[in-house]
Amino acid sequence: MGWILIPDGKPDGHVEHIYREKTDKRILKKNPWRDYRLHITVLILVVIAELIGTISIPITKDVAITIMPLIYTIILGLVFYLAKPIKWIQRKQARIAEGAMMLFIGVLIAKLAVSSGQSIGLIFDMGPALILQELGHLATILVLPIALLLGFKKEAVGMTNSIGREPNVAVVVDKYGFNSPESRGVFAIFIIGTVIGTIFISFLVTFSLSVLPLHPYAFAMASGVGSASMNAAAIGPTLAAFPGMETQIEAFAGFSNLLSFCVGIYIVIFVALPLTEKMYNWLEPKIGRESIMPKKEDD
Amino acid sequence: MMVDFIDGSENITVHGVFNWILLLSIFSIITVIGNFIGYDHPIGDSLVGMGILSVITLVGVWMERRIPFNISSIIYISAIGIILAFPGMPTSEIVSYYVSKVELLSVVTVFLAYVGIGMGKSWNEFKTLGPRAIIVTMLVIASTYLGSAFVAHVILVMTGVPA
Repeated sequence: MGWILIPDGKPDGHVEHIYREKTDKRILKKNPWRDYRLHITVLILVVIAELIGTISIPITKDVAITIMPLIYTIILGLVFYLAKPIKWIQRKQARIAEGAMMLFIGVLIAKLAVSSGQSIGLIFDMGPALILQELGHLATILVLPIALLLGFKKEAVGMTNSIGREPNVAVVVDKYGFNSPESRGVFAIFIIGTVIGTIFISFLVTFSLSVLPLHPYAFAMASGVGSASMNAAAIGPTLAAFPGMETQIEAFAGFSNLLSFCVGIYIVIFVALPLTEKMYNWLEPKIGRESIMPKKEDD
Repeated sequence: MMVDFIDGSENITVHGVFNWILLLSIFSIITVIGNFIGYDHPIGDSLVGMGILSVITLVGVWMERRIPFNISSIIYISAIGIILAFPGMPTSEIVSYYVSKVELLSVVTVFLAYVGIGMGKSWNEFKTLGPRAIIVTMLVIASTYLGSAFVAHVILVMTGVPA
């Protein structure tokens, strides 16, 4: 989620500046601050969430699921949009929220950047780990065989080359064209990731923290998956798990997310996508199933 | 799908910047209230902290649109934030002090409320996608996260970083 330079963005699909355009269109033209009911609703959600506070549900002796206020606000936000009686949160407000969100990502990034600045020495010391962990994102390609077994064809290439956020969508659309099966695949991941990604990663991180004995910095760096909201949701439980290391964790998480934005995109273009295609050509004849994609393309 | 790939204007007007400032103020106020309820941070200090973060954001977003290079505002914002807090910079102490009064999680909680409302828009498309695509998405997210966690862990242990 965010603004990123896409090399040679072609005019098809207008993917080059989608976020900037989206933000400008919503914020500059629609006077979003006038929609005061949206912001009052957010304030109420935040107050409710902070009053409930963090809840920890023990599963076994060592494993506990932590539910943080950020989960309540995201779920309540969605519920408020979907609930019929709440008439003042509709599609228009959702569009404004989305536009405003793009601006608020900046505040989040600024906070992480200040932590990074304070710990700049540490970041240089951890340089190798920070850079090499970006290659860990290639692990998504391991999901390709499963996607094939589930009956996806070329869609699987779009689905498993990366985490499928905005920059990745842009890359795939740029390479295969807007109406290609690969693009349909990455769109599917994008939409599902938008709806469940933040909540899913928060539980994934909570679970990983309790069962995997990894280095605290490793958890911090891993949370920079290349999506500001998933990054944010992943940092929450990590901060809670290692009290007293806030600045370092924020610094690594922020810096790694920044790397995912600037370096990650090139890893996708030059390594992940070619590798996914190779894997596809090799595996598809072996384990490919009957296609399940009589997909309808709306819009 | 992807109905929102729209082209918009990139004109910056006084009016537009005014909208950004107002939105950032609203965001700051909500965050400071949450920050007070959730973490007991004094309202005055955290308001200054949010003010600093908002100004950094504003400058970054403005630079993205004004400077003719095709560089994301995320890069500008990160660079400004890092430089201002850089140890030894005259701004370092003051910025670090006030920004530390704004809990990251308070910002995230407010941010994700907007995300939640915004993602409602994708709900109908989401419902048409089916369980198999959901399984693949979850596996993709999990493998990205765990992949980089394992690589980072191995390198940290190899380079002897104490936990």
